Amino acid sequence: MRLSLPDTLDREIIFKRLEKVLDPELDESILKLGFVKSIEAESGHLTIELHLPTYWCAPNFSYMMAEDTRRELLTVEGLHDVTVRLKDHFAAQTIEASVNAGKSFSEAFPDETSENLCQLSDLFLRKGYIRRQERLLQNLKNAGLSFEEIALLRIGDLYFENESCRIRRNNGRICDVGDAEVARQYFQRRAEINLDCSPTAPLIIDLRGNEVTAEGLEEYLIRARTVRVALQANGSFCTAVLAARKGKN
Amino acid sequence: MYKENGQEIFVVDGHMHFWDANPENWRNEYGEGWIRCFYDFHTALSPEEYVWPFEKYCKYGEDTLINDLFAEGYVDVAILNSTYLYEFYKNGFNTHQQNNAIKAKYPDRFILCGSFDPRAEEAGLDAFRQMMEDYPIQGLKLYTAEWRDGSKGWRLNDPWAYKYFELAEEVGVKNIHVHKGPTVYPLNRDAFDVADVDYAATDFPNLNFIIEHIGLPRLDDFCWIATQEKNVYAGMSVAMAFIHSRPRYFAEIVANLLFWLGEDKMIFGSDYAIWTPKWLIEKFMALELPDDIKEEYGVDITPEAKRKILGENVAGLYGIDLPIHREKLSQDEIGVKLAAGA
Repeated sequence: MRLSLPDTLDREIIFKRLEKVLDPELDESILKLGFVKSIEAESGHLTIELHLPTYWCAPNFSYMMAEDTRRELLTVEGLHDVTVRLKDHFAAQTIEASVNAGKSFSEAFPDETSENLCQLSDLFLRKGYIRRQERLLQNLKNAGLSFEEIALLRIGDLYFENESCRIRRNNGRICDVGDAEVARQYFQRRAEINLDCSPTAPLIIDLRGNEVTAEGLEEYLIRARTVRVALQANGSFCTAVLAARKGKN
Repeated sequence: MYKENGQEIFVVDGHMHFWDANPENWRNEYGEGWIRCFYDFHTALSPEEYVWPFEKYCKYGEDTLINDLFAEGYVDVAILNSTYLYEFYKNGFNTHQQNNAIKAKYPDRFILCGSFDPRAEEAGLDAFRQMMEDYPIQGLKLYTAEWRDGSKGWRLNDPWAYKYFELAEEVGVKNIHVHKGPTVYPLNRDAFDVADVDYAATDFPNLNFIIEHIGLPRLDDFCWIATQEKNVYAGMSVAMAFIHSRPRYFAEIVANLLFWLGEDKMIFGSDYAIWTPKWLIEKFMALELPDDIKEEYGVDITPEAKRKILGENVAGLYGIDLPIHREKLSQDEIGVKLAAGA
């Protein structure tokens, strides 16, 4: 990534904001995915260049990422203007012109689709919730917790120490249940889709906010596993295509 | 025919193309866009030694196809998935008329798919009947995301689609291949949603619905539907291509299909010429599921399962009698050449 920022701007804040911009299908930040090609700023105007996996990346998803990038960066203190550039994308011109003028997707592509980007983005946020929850469930299982025990857990039974996630088991013992990041991402998404995040709420709830019983957990996990594998399809596809494109360039 | 340890495996390529994407055939920028998108898939997931130059990829011709499938690619019978795309290609991308040229030359080697578009309504029904009379159509390939006069797609449960399914039943076409896969620019991804399969499969229990590309990236939605509907099958092309660069991920997909659908409902396809069958089949025959995946899903891929997936399942759907068909193939032009070369 090429960086050219004046000292007056806080780099860390910029990266923090970009962490929040997700590829909706991959459920990972564009920063982590390596989509950010360059960031330059001068007298309060930042220009960011994104390199998406394929020249033909669906315009709606490309639009979402460009729009989110601009929105997030405009909240950074010291920036009054943000220009997003899409490198090597078939609809770069249209997307850039509209996103940078603050227009919506349907204004930019009136003939392209009847889709509502908010609904689409919501669908992926919800599938992403299941995926993140599945990772946490696997960690709990791997730590030796039974379904009965998992079903009884409340959010407050979980805490972080250093970069690990710990749990107070009902026998009073403390148990390490893997990387803190897994649980953090789960809670972050849980809050984003407005599910109860209070300490007394059950740790595992479904998308409707209902508790999952011990008897239901096994099947719930089997289904969650398939959702995860499904979500990884585009990720596997896009990263392979991106790698091939980078090799060619 | 794939031979291993004295065993012969009958191979059907459930999904392949004989396309013409030469620049002369591009109607507009979408024609170029489409084939470049395919080419990205090709270069991204093929082993390096199997990557073609773009020019060859646009139009590879009959000799290349025959060689890649039957001489080098172990394929015995191939299903020609006709794709029209007249709004992107002047003469169409690979229509049943174009495909019939090789079908006519090697009738036992190819299964020819026709198609319908319910948006043609009443007039299309007559055209459909005519197509069935004029061409040796054995299956249908449906493309719900195809553009037509300003419409960006249709659904399998549209009322007019049902009239076509009724007609398909009447004229005796049983196997319906439906493209439900990754978005290909410039098609609208909504139209690849798999929910409509559920309705059509329930309402037409005598038809078989082979969901090409297993609904990727909507594998989850596909699995729920396919588990409930007896007549829904997993067309594995595109998913197959992960076997080289993402082998563990491929193993997980296979484990999911085995778990939800079982080995009798899975169908191999290369999606040639996006990828070539030779390496896909060699790697598939060598595939072993990692122990942790086997344990987690409680499934395994046996030699018998591989045999079914590579050919027997879909041969069954098309009523191919294997011993009789093997005999026929050994005597056609390709079979004779192969025997002479062996």
